[in-house]
Amino acid sequence: MSGPLFPAQEIGSLAKPRWQLLGQRGEPLDLAADEEFRIWNERLGFADVTSPEVRALLEGRSRELGAAGVRDLGALFALRYFERAGLARVYDGEARRIEMYEYPIRQMRGFRFYGHVRSFDNKYYRKAACVDEVGLEHPYHTEEFDFVKSHAQAIPKLPITGPYTLADWSYNEHYLGRQAGWKGRDARRRAQREFVVEIARKAVRPTLQALIERGCRVIQVDEPAAGTHPDEADLVAEGFNAATEGLDATFSMHVCFSDYASLLPALLEAKRVDQWAWEFANRDSEGRDGYEVLKLFREYGDTRQVGLGVVDVHRDEVESPELVADRIRRAAKILGDPSRIWVNPDCGLRTRRLEVAWQKLGSVVEGARLARADFERAG
Amino acid sequence: MTIHTSLTGPFPRSEPLVAATRDLDRGRTSAEAVEARFVEAEREVVALERRLGLDAVTGGYLRWADLFRPFAEGWRGFTVGPVTRWFETNTFYRQPILHAPPERVAPVVRAALPPSSVVEPSRAKVVLPGPFTFAGLLDNRSGETREALTHRFGRLLAEEVRDLHAAGYTTIQFQEPLLVVAPPTGPLAEAAVAAYKSIGAAADGARTMVWTYFGDGAAVEPLLHRLAVGGIGVDLAETEVDRVHAPPDHRALGLGCLDPRTTLSEDPAEVARVVREIVHRVHPREVWLGPGGPLDLLPAEPAARKLHVLPAAKQLLDGPGAAG
Repeated sequence: MSGPLFPAQEIGSLAKPRWQLLGQRGEPLDLAADEEFRIWNERLGFADVTSPEVRALLEGRSRELGAAGVRDLGALFALRYFERAGLARVYDGEARRIEMYEYPIRQMRGFRFYGHVRSFDNKYYRKAACVDEVGLEHPYHTEEFDFVKSHAQAIPKLPITGPYTLADWSYNEHYLGRQAGWKGRDARRRAQREFVVEIARKAVRPTLQALIERGCRVIQVDEPAAGTHPDEADLVAEGFNAATEGLDATFSMHVCFSDYASLLPALLEAKRVDQWAWEFANRDSEGRDGYEVLKLFREYGDTRQVGLGVVDVHRDEVESPELVADRIRRAAKILGDPSRIWVNPDCGLRTRRLEVAWQKLGSVVEGARLARADFERAG
Repeated sequence: MTIHTSLTGPFPRSEPLVAATRDLDRGRTSAEAVEARFVEAEREVVALERRLGLDAVTGGYLRWADLFRPFAEGWRGFTVGPVTRWFETNTFYRQPILHAPPERVAPVVRAALPPSSVVEPSRAKVVLPGPFTFAGLLDNRSGETREALTHRFGRLLAEEVRDLHAAGYTTIQFQEPLLVVAPPTGPLAEAAVAAYKSIGAAADGARTMVWTYFGDGAAVEPLLHRLAVGGIGVDLAETEVDRVHAPPDHRALGLGCLDPRTTLSEDPAEVARVVREIVHRVHPREVWLGPGGPLDLLPAEPAARKLHVLPAAKQLLDGPGAAG
């Protein structure tokens, strides 16, 4: 990696501002939303308040702007938020997305939604069944990327849900149905492998190709399901390879809240991963033991970049820059090569209020600066 | 040999019930309206179970927030904790936090079951958490060892069994996925055996069964066969068919032949073939067919479709050239 040590990035979504949520619904902004808009605009300068569109939003006529127009403004807000925070790679904070599964699946062929599944209590989600050969209606996230690219002042990147997660969060009817005989463990695994690779080749890969053709050079593949079935880590890698082999871009794989040791070394077979973006801070204590898992990279001889989670996204308490710097130093010592480290929150800061997220990103950037200064002093 | 069919755990909530409970959380409807919807949905599940000729009915356990909640809220010593992943699924439970040795201050199960006007006790199957799984999946801050806790849960659940039996419930199943996902050894295995000894002593003629899922039942068979219950169920999606054995002493063998991990319906002929193969090999006196795990991992429509496989397979098994 050339350039300064410890560049900063975000690796997940950002909370949508209240003004965006109200505006998308065509509702007038209340006092809190109006104030929120003005405060952040003063900090970030993301909107021209004299433009007819922004005036429509602020004067209670958001319907004139339309949901798409409000989302554009939300995307611009997130872009500037990340840029002003000092991140080296930016995107729109997933301002246009409401989830990471149903939207991609609805751009594909071969799936059917039967109804809701209970997640817990009275919370439900929709999980599609793959009932036919996987296909792609049209590549997705392309317009989102076009917008980011045309407005970004830093290097644009794009997060996309990985093939293993798309398969794992779906019911596999079609490929399991093709297995002869009793559908026991072995048959299920064969069918799952086929399903993952088909999604990768027929849906994710053409989408990645379309994004790359539009100039997308940095792509984060999110595989949150990877940690659910450690014995299928090889399928995560196989799907990733099928989706990315031979494509000209920088790829990272984000896997959060997992027992990483249980995924290795199988996951390391994902050949085109340039960076592993993982969480560490939420399991860290004063001894920096949250970063011990990095030893596995040395153990397995993997020298790729690490997106190092240095702030916890599930707590409001803001980590000090000194703590962040200490975590970076500890990780660099374990890895034996500081140039491999990018720094980021453990996952998306969507779980935190914008003000808290801002402070946490500030600590990430400042902590990186402190650690960088140390290493530069040490020569 | 006799073959019975039944649900083995919760059934998914219907789409109208999903909408009603969501509306309740968002303050768009009243608790009374949702209660009416629950009763209606329970009647629908019972009607389905009856229409399919299942040998025990459940009402679907639609009200249970999770397997442990009635106990975590009704027994002393608990608080209801964080949302926690339910094994390797994308569903969750609120992990009970145990702050002190648990105490049963009053029966909790009967109140959590559908009213007897909806599910007649003598025809009902009651599905409870198994003591081993319960003790193993909670956040234990009580100071008791897991072994002691497993044993204690056996005694507490035995009290519930006595209460249920006195109220006319005669078929009681214990969910024990953890027994096959993380099989115990040594003192912990002995604690599980002791827990079921308490339950067995309380059963007093009631039909009891341990149902395992999400793991290989064959690998733990020696332990499962030591549990003092009337039957042992295994998940055939996880257990190799040719490694299944009948529990000793002519106890019932449960075969989880519907896979709740996929919406793909099983072929009744294939189910019948596999069951026949097992039966011819191990000669159980009594077989219970049911879903391998909780069907509420599916939406309601495919779950109902799958349930139709049970009577169809049973018919094939009962017909000419029947098993056993």
